[in-house]
Amino acid sequence: MQRGRSGFLGIDASDSLSLQERLERFPWGLIILLTITVLFGLVILYSAVGGQENLHFIYKQLGRFLTGMVLMFVIALMCEEKLFRHQAYLVYAIILLLLILVAVFGSVGMGARRWLDLGVMRIQPSELMKVGVILALARFYHDRAVDPHLGFRQLAGLILLILTPLGLIVKQPDLGTAVLIASVVCVIIFVAGLSWKTLIFAILIFGASLPVVWNSLHDYQRQRVETLFFPERDPLGSGYHIIQSTIAVGSGGMTGKGFLAGSQSHLDFLPERHTDFIFSVLAEEWGFLGGMVILLLYGLIILRGMMIAISAGDRFGFLLAAGVTALFTFQVVINIGMVIGLLPVVGIPLPLISYGGSSMVTILAAMGLLAHVAIYSKYHGRAVRSI
Amino acid sequence: MLQNEHLQFIANAKRRMFMLVGFKGILFVLLGMRLFYLQMMKGGAYRDLAENNRISLQPEPALRGRIFGRNGEILVENSPNYCLEVIPELSGGLERLLYRLQPYLDLTQEDLEIVLKRARSQRSFLPLNVQSHLSWEEMSGIEARIHTFPGTELRIHPLRYYPYGEFATHFLGYLGDVSESERKMSKNHHYRSGDLIGKAGVEKSAESRLRGKEGVREMEVNAFGRQVRQLSFDPPQPGEDIHLTLDVDLQMEAERMMVGKNGSIVAMDPSNGEVLAMVSQPSYDPNIFIRGMTNRQWRELIVNPKMPLTNKSVQGQYPPGSTFKMAVALAGLAGGHITPNDQFYCPGYLTRQEHRFYCWKFRGHGSLDLKQALAQSCDVFFYKLAEKVGIDAIEHYGRGFGFGEISGIALPGERAGLMPSRSWKLARYRKPWYPGETLITAIGQGYMLATPLQLANMIATIANGGTLYRPVIERQNKPQLFHSKHKLNLRPEHLAYVREGLEEVVKGRLGTAKKVQPENLRVAGKTGTSQVVRHRRNVGGKVIQTDNESYKDHALFVAYAPTENPKIALSVVVEHGGSGSSSAAPIAMGILERYFEQKSDQNKT
Repeated sequence: MQRGRSGFLGIDASDSLSLQERLERFPWGLIILLTITVLFGLVILYSAVGGQENLHFIYKQLGRFLTGMVLMFVIALMCEEKLFRHQAYLVYAIILLLLILVAVFGSVGMGARRWLDLGVMRIQPSELMKVGVILALARFYHDRAVDPHLGFRQLAGLILLILTPLGLIVKQPDLGTAVLIASVVCVIIFVAGLSWKTLIFAILIFGASLPVVWNSLHDYQRQRVETLFFPERDPLGSGYHIIQSTIAVGSGGMTGKGFLAGSQSHLDFLPERHTDFIFSVLAEEWGFLGGMVILLLYGLIILRGMMIAISAGDRFGFLLAAGVTALFTFQVVINIGMVIGLLPVVGIPLPLISYGGSSMVTILAAMGLLAHVAIYSKYHGRAVRSI
Repeated sequence: MLQNEHLQFIANAKRRMFMLVGFKGILFVLLGMRLFYLQMMKGGAYRDLAENNRISLQPEPALRGRIFGRNGEILVENSPNYCLEVIPELSGGLERLLYRLQPYLDLTQEDLEIVLKRARSQRSFLPLNVQSHLSWEEMSGIEARIHTFPGTELRIHPLRYYPYGEFATHFLGYLGDVSESERKMSKNHHYRSGDLIGKAGVEKSAESRLRGKEGVREMEVNAFGRQVRQLSFDPPQPGEDIHLTLDVDLQMEAERMMVGKNGSIVAMDPSNGEVLAMVSQPSYDPNIFIRGMTNRQWRELIVNPKMPLTNKSVQGQYPPGSTFKMAVALAGLAGGHITPNDQFYCPGYLTRQEHRFYCWKFRGHGSLDLKQALAQSCDVFFYKLAEKVGIDAIEHYGRGFGFGEISGIALPGERAGLMPSRSWKLARYRKPWYPGETLITAIGQGYMLATPLQLANMIATIANGGTLYRPVIERQNKPQLFHSKHKLNLRPEHLAYVREGLEEVVKGRLGTAKKVQPENLRVAGKTGTSQVVRHRRNVGGKVIQTDNESYKDHALFVAYAPTENPKIALSVVVEHGGSGSSSAAPIAMGILERYFEQKSDQNKT
């Protein structure tokens, strides 16, 4: 079975697989985990929006899930192997353009300029940029595989690649997404092989720059951080979200109050309970056990993603899969962390569960990329040999 | 070389991926630990917090007890206050609805704007009070069309109502918003700001019984305070009804006689100390406190020098004047200082230590005995008697009749009056008692002060044969005695003699109240005139009459009737009324006459 050029790990990878082969190589386990999570999420959402009366939320969310699934399959199955690597910068550039458009024409909601109205739908380009940056960075490091040492021009290019979208997003302002993207960028750079010396140096620089960042934050952003540590200072104001969601989570106990029986959720004490704070509805009604189940599902998805990364057919695929998995991980950790009072309240939705179109479709599209990497992985059909 | 470096990269990447797995694992473990802490370790505490969030305790006010008169007349009740309320979120446009309601209500454009302003400051699912105290016409007009006004409701709130209006006002009292100090004082009764509390009269003194016990409704509420459902209901216990001894007919008659005057009337049943009537003038309508009054109305009540808010029957303190002579007479008889046969001569004055003590009758009374001295109210006679009796015995008898002490009547703000004594003067002025002060004390002047209630109780004690009762306003199983440290030791023959003298006041040829003697009723009484300021006299010693209203004497009269079997004892005080015989006695006589006429009419039918 001799095919074209050698793959990422020196093993032959297919240049063109038949649809049959692609379907065989498709990571069905991952898709099943995603689907279970989404279905569980719909059950929680049903409770969060108040049950029967607001069934249209469920239909809408289900529709988004199906749309995302279609997109995922198209990305995973219908695109040829090198398409994303070749078009990575183009995708990145288009999303960057959208971000610039938002900065200029975007509509303002809750004091931030995040939405772009395309007539048929409203999108949040910062959501798309999460994937855009991953693609661009994967491509950047893929191209430098032959000579990993970066010259001045390359380093400047890399920094520009990262900081341009980050700057635009911070300016919206959407600190949560910016931090999320920055974390993902760090992971990619880390697995791409940044030397430890540079890494430690970067961490020190970062630590030193914290006070500067703190001073440049908007008042409401600073308040959120303060609120995290002292929510009781302002129980009806900025501390309200954290206090009420902590009460909801805590009062769930081990087994929870039961489906549709969460008093915090159903009596409107929980803010944003169908979007960013949906985890507290889950924790209140399904308790510690429900929370563990969700964490387990997420954990399995993440592990599977990292396995796909390791078995990727080339460096681009490796970095793409690692980036997508990191994005997914951080979104889970930041969202749950803020709901249970470990992290400041930033607008990061819970992947696959929070109500919202941009998040759902973006995550599923990213999962499509992951599946794409899996399809063109090195192991399939072969014994594991050399790792 | 290239291949080698490539393999190195792969090995490095794998190593870093495993480190990353560890890092992500740590993050997940942190999340799990935090969940374990919140849900497994602190779950109970957070469950309590969630319950507190969920449950709102709503007070359900208890219906306040009613107050009845002696014969079951309703004197204070709770009337329905019809209120129009709108739930803005159901109204389909509040402003439009209000304009549609306007023709049926008594609402000006400004009122509407105030309602709209209030609507903006409260949650739209909470009922908004548009107008209270709807008239019958307004209510029926809206009720007939209520289905055309979405979200509109007619609600009935209980409202304190005084059906007789300005009647026994000081006795019954009124309600007002509880004050901060009242809230602090009554801890166990649990008042909230905005609650009503008795501010005067029976409403105040019987507050704890009238109020009842508030109920509690346990409601499940959401974060905005909207009620979702009722969890439990502890119903309120209505307040106790109070049955007073007040005789409505007598009270009405007494009030009628006091119209336009200032002062007090207290009527009691001498056989048990029950208060039958209590008037204090000027007065006011307690309903204005309930429905709200204008600032001007309130200021007029507060700054009025005639003090309409004071219950003068128990709070007013007046020199008892000559009404006190009966007590001095009994002290003299009991102490053996005088007998019915003894006579004194009255030239119109008595000179002691170069000071001239005048009799009210400038020309003097001539020779008279104790009975005549009472009937004609001779001051000189009592000066002379007082010298024999002495201040200590006078004080003893004064206190024995209840002067200088609060009676303990169940009405707020009662004052004690003042029964002067040697020790009192020493303590108060650091000066010894002067003999001349004994003389003026004997005619109820000088330091001595008494409330109209004390005066009524004194005459009631004379009327019932010497028993001092504690004045009560509610029916008792057994009359309560007034336990004074100063026991009256009255011999029946002495009492009978003094009572004869009091009868002579009314029916005697020279009696001070003979002009107003009723036709078919035998009344015994005693006039009194108490000086407000020292009388100015001309060179000859004649009193110069003053034109200044507020310097005029207070007119007093105490009486009981019928003499053979007393049913009523009463005191009348007319502030600045002039003399007791000309201004207070006619009032008392008028009341007694009409009262017994009505009683006999009622008995006939």
